[in-house]
Amino acid sequence: MVDFGFGLLASSRINLDLFDKEKFDSLAAEEPDVRKCIACGSCTAVCTAGKFTPTSLRAAIEELQNGRDEVAMNMLKGCQLCGKCAMVCPRGINTRHLILSIAKIYSKK
Amino acid sequence: MRNNVLIIGGGPAGLEASANLQRLGYNVLLVEHSNTLGGHLGKWDRLFPSGTPASGALDKLLGSMDGVKCFTDTEIQSINRLGKSYNVILSNGITVLADAVLVVTGFDLFQAEKKEEYGYGIYDHVITNADLEQYFKTGLDARINAPRKIGFVHCVGSRDEKSGCRSCSKVCCATAVKQACEMKAAFPDAQIYCFYMDLRMFGRHYEDMYLEAQRDYGIRFIRGRVAEVSENIDGSLSVKAEDTVSSKPLKVSLDLLVLMAGMRPSVSGQRIGSLLGMQNEKDGYFEVLSEITSQQRSPIPGIFLAGAATGPKTLPDTLADARGAATQIDKYLSDIFPKAKDLKQLIKTAW
Amino acid sequence: MMPANIFPILAAQASPEVIDRIPSSYSHFVIPFVAGITFFLVWIFVGLIRVLTQLNHDDRMQFWTSLLNPITAGKNIRDLFCDCLFHTKIWQRKPLLGYMHSAIAFGWFMLIVLGHIEVALFVPKHLSYGEGGLFYPIFYRYFVWIRPGHETLRGAFFFFLMDFFLLYVLTGIGLAMFKRFRSIVLGMRHTTKPSLADRVALYSLWMIFPLRLLAESFTADLSGGSFLTLGMNHLLHFLFGDKLYFQPFWWAYSICLGTFFAAMPFSRYMHILTEVLWILFRNAGLKPSHPRKGVAEAEIYACSSCGLCLDACPMNVQKKNLKYSSVYFIRFLRRHNERKIAEIADKCLMCDKCHALCPVSVDAPALRRAQRQTTNDHLPYDYSYLDTAPVKLHEAAIPRHPELDSGSDSSKVLYFAGCMSHLTPRIIKAVEELFKKAGTEYVFADREGGICCGRPLLLAGKKEAAAKTMDANKSMIKASGCKTLVLSCPICYKVFKEEYNLAGIRVVHYTQYFKELIDAGKLNVGKSGEKIVYHDPCELGRGCNVYEEPRTVLRQVGDLVKAGHEYDESICCGGSLGSLTLSQNDRRKITDAAIKDLTIAFPETIVTACPLCLKTFSERSTVPVKDFAEVLTNHCG
Repeated sequence: MVDFGFGLLASSRINLDLFDKEKFDSLAAEEPDVRKCIACGSCTAVCTAGKFTPTSLRAAIEELQNGRDEVAMNMLKGCQLCGKCAMVCPRGINTRHLILSIAKIYSKK
Repeated sequence: MRNNVLIIGGGPAGLEASANLQRLGYNVLLVEHSNTLGGHLGKWDRLFPSGTPASGALDKLLGSMDGVKCFTDTEIQSINRLGKSYNVILSNGITVLADAVLVVTGFDLFQAEKKEEYGYGIYDHVITNADLEQYFKTGLDARINAPRKIGFVHCVGSRDEKSGCRSCSKVCCATAVKQACEMKAAFPDAQIYCFYMDLRMFGRHYEDMYLEAQRDYGIRFIRGRVAEVSENIDGSLSVKAEDTVSSKPLKVSLDLLVLMAGMRPSVSGQRIGSLLGMQNEKDGYFEVLSEITSQQRSPIPGIFLAGAATGPKTLPDTLADARGAATQIDKYLSDIFPKAKDLKQLIKTAW
Repeated sequence: MMPANIFPILAAQASPEVIDRIPSSYSHFVIPFVAGITFFLVWIFVGLIRVLTQLNHDDRMQFWTSLLNPITAGKNIRDLFCDCLFHTKIWQRKPLLGYMHSAIAFGWFMLIVLGHIEVALFVPKHLSYGEGGLFYPIFYRYFVWIRPGHETLRGAFFFFLMDFFLLYVLTGIGLAMFKRFRSIVLGMRHTTKPSLADRVALYSLWMIFPLRLLAESFTADLSGGSFLTLGMNHLLHFLFGDKLYFQPFWWAYSICLGTFFAAMPFSRYMHILTEVLWILFRNAGLKPSHPRKGVAEAEIYACSSCGLCLDACPMNVQKKNLKYSSVYFIRFLRRHNERKIAEIADKCLMCDKCHALCPVSVDAPALRRAQRQTTNDHLPYDYSYLDTAPVKLHEAAIPRHPELDSGSDSSKVLYFAGCMSHLTPRIIKAVEELFKKAGTEYVFADREGGICCGRPLLLAGKKEAAAKTMDANKSMIKASGCKTLVLSCPICYKVFKEEYNLAGIRVVHYTQYFKELIDAGKLNVGKSGEKIVYHDPCELGRGCNVYEEPRTVLRQVGDLVKAGHEYDESICCGGSLGSLTLSQNDRRKITDAAIKDLTIAFPETIVTACPLCLKTFSERSTVPVKDFAEVLTNHCG
C-alpha cells in the first residue's frame, strides 16, 4: 500500500482496542470501587504526592480503561497511601486498597 | 358537605396546592411550623433562569389563598386514622378531621459546616448559596468585602456519599450560574470561577443562561471538585481542585468562596412522616406509590405528597407537582366519599 | 477389696525412709496417658527448636540476653504468674471469667506441683525417677497407699491441699461448662466456634477432673484423702458396699488425659504451654517480621481462642463481620488458609483493642501488618522525588514567619499538622491560635502541605517505602533546628515517637503540649458547665498510652462525662486508615455505634483529638463534635 503519511503518532490517540478487559475485570473483582469513580478529581486535588510528582488516581483509573496501563502505573508510583483521597472522595471509594490492587495486578507481566 | 383537606407545610407546594383545592370546593387547612409562609422561596432574591424576583412569585402564590385557613407557628401533635379520615390534633389545641392529608414538608439546606474541608464557619470568607441570596436581598454580609476573585463550589452535600446523599439536588448548578452572573454584575472587576463535577443544565433556557455566563460575564468553568481549602495569612483562601480537563491539580487564591449547599429531606418533615408511619426510600425522601404514574400519592390511603418532600425539585416542578396533587386529592375524595360526589353531581345536573 | 494379683504391692522393696506408705510401680492403665503426653512433649520440643531456629540471628541473641537480664527476668516471672496462672487481665474486666480461667490454670498447676512434691517426699528415688517418672505424680493416689495401721501420717496436709485444689479446679470446670451455654453471664457476648480438635480437647478437659475426683474417691480409703475424696469415698461405700472396683475410673481418667494431650497441639489448649514462650519473647521485645514464622509462631500458638477479642472488635456491630476477629485470623494462620488469612488481614481497622484486651497480649495487629508486608512490601513505588522535597518544605515554612529567623533556635517548636489535619482546618486554626495566645514561637512545617509521616504505609505493610518517607521527614525536622515537635494527629505522633529516633528532639502530641502550657500558666482556661465527653483516638490512647492529659485539661474547661467505653476499651471511630478493605457502609455502622456509646450520658459536645476521628464523627453525629484545641480556644481567656 502507498503510505500517504496521514497516520497519527502512535501515542497521540487513545486506542480503546488496547484495553485489557480481563485485567480490569480482575481488578474490579479485587476492588469493586474502581467502577464507582465519577472523575471529580478530588483525589488529585488533595494528593500529598501530587505536589511533587504527577500522581492522579482519577486519571489512572481512566488510563487503565484506555488501555494505557504503563501510563496509569506511573501515575500511582509516587503515592504514599496517606489516605487523604479516601477522605474526600464523594463516592467513598476505598482509594488506598484500589491503589494497592492496581499495583498488585498491573505489575504482573 | 365539603371535605376537609389538611396541608402540612407552607412552602410553595403547600400554597399552590391549597389554592387549587380551595378552588375545587374543599375546605382547606394549611399548617406551617415556622412563623411565615413561603418556605425557602421567602429567603431567595431572584430565580433562575431569567432572574424573576422571588418576592413577586411568592406574592402571586399568597394572593390566591383566599378562603384557605392558615395556621403558622403550629405543629402537628398527633395524627390518627379515624374511619376513612384522619383525626389531627394541632399544637394550638385545635382538632381537625381531615379526609385527605397533603404532606408538603419540602427540604432543608445541607449544613455546609459538615463538609469540614471547606471551612464554612471557620474561615472568614466562605459562605453558602443561601447566605449569598440573603446578601442580594439586604446588601449586608461582612464576609463579602469587594471580592476580586470568587469561587463557586457545586455539589456541596449533593452527589456525596460521605455526607449521606448520593442524589443530585437538581437546582444548584443553575443557581450557581445565576449567582455567578449576579456577582459579576455586582463586582464587575471580579474574576469568577465555577467548580463543577457535571454541569446539569437540563431545563428550558438553562443552557442560554450558561452561555451568557461564559460569553457575557466571562465566568470560568472548571471541571473539578474543590477538595481542600486553606486560609492564607491575609485572610484570603487557597483553594485546591483538579482541572480534570487538562489533567492537572490546580490551586487558586480567592477572596470569597460560595458553597452550593444541596437539599436534604427536611427534619420536621421526617417527624410528620414518623407520625403517619410513612416509609422513606434509601435517599431519605418519602416513598411514593409509583414514581411514574402516582408521584403524588403515598402508599397510605388518603396521604398525598408533593414538592421536595419526594426528592429535589426546581420551583416550577414543585408547583406543577402541587397542582397534580390537588387533582389527585380531588379524584380520591370523589371516589372515597361518593355522597359528596353525588351531591356535587346532583347540583351539577340540577344546574 | 483390692486383689493383689492385679496390683502387685511392692511392700518388700519399700526403701527404709518410707515406712508409712506402700508404693507400687506400674499398671497398664497409664498407657493412654503416657502415649498422649509423650506425643505432646515430642511435639513441643520439635516446635520449640523450630521456632528458635526460625528467629533471625539478632532476635535470637536478643532473646537469650533478655533471659539473663535481671529486670526482664523479674518481669518474666511476674507475667508468667499473672498472665498464665492467675489471668489477672481477665479478672480486672470480668471477675467471674477470671475466676474460671485462674481456677483451671492455677488449680491444675498446683495439683501438678503438689503431686510432684508428694512424689519427691514419699516415693523412693528409683521409682519416681526410673520406672514411673512420667506418670507417678499424676496417678500418685493409685500407686501409693497408706500402710495399714499408720495413724499418724507424715504429709497428711497434702491430702487436704490436693482436695482443695481439685475442688477449686472443679468449680472452674463447672463454670466453663456453664459458659458454653450461657456465655453472657460470664460477661461474653460472643464466643468462638470451637474446631473439631478444640471439641475433642474441650470435652476431655471437662472430663479429666470429674474423673480424677471419682478415681481418687474410689481409692481414698486406701491411698488417703481429705474432705472431698474421703467424703466421696464414704458415700461410695454407702452406695455400693464394701467392694469398690476402681480400676475402670483410673483407666477413664488416664484415657481422658491421654486424649487431651494428644489433641492439645491441634487445639486452642496449646496456649497453656506456648504462652510461656510468647511471654518470654514479648518481654524480650521481639516483634514478628513474618506472619507465620518464629515470633509469630509462638504468638499464634499462645492464642487461647478465648474469644475476648470478639467482643472487643469494633467490627462486631455487625454479626457478619465477627469472622474477621483476631481469634479467627490466628486460627487460619495455624491452618495455613492463605485466602482467609489475606482477607482478614486486610479487613482489620488496626484499632489495637484486641491486643489491649488480650489476656496474654497477643499482638494480632502486628501479625496482620506482617501479613500485609508479605503481599504489599514488594509492590512497585518510586519516591525519588523525596530526595529534593524536604528542603523545599522547610523553606516554604519559614517565609510565612518573617518575624522568626530561620536559624536553629531551640526555643521554637515545630508544628507538623499532617495530611489529615489539612482537611480539618479548624484544628490547624485552633492550634495556631493557642500558640499565639501562649506566646509560643513556632514554625509550621507543612503549612503548604508536607509529605506523609509514613504510618499509613506501615499499616499497609509497605515497610521499605515507609522508611523512605520517614527519612525525608527526618531531615526536614533536623534542618529546622527546633527541639520540640508538636503534632496534632495521633497517627503522625505514634510514628514520630516510635519509629523516627529523633535524638535530641522532644516529640509531643498537642494534648500533652497544651496541658504543659496550662500547667505553666501560659494559657488561661476558664471552666464552663458544658457537658463534654472525650473520645480516645486509637492511635493516641491504645497506640501511645496518652489517656490522662486530654482528660485533665477537659476537666478544667467543662463537665467531663463518661462514655460507655473509655480508655483502652474505647471504640474506633470507624474512619481508621488501618483497614484496607472495610466498606464505607460497614465503617458507617461502626461510627454510629461509637457515637451511640459516646453519648450515653447525653453530653453536649463530643471532643476528640484526632483529625480522622473528628471528620468521621462530624459527618454522622447529631451531637456537635469538636476538636480538643478548638474547645480550648473557646475556653481561653
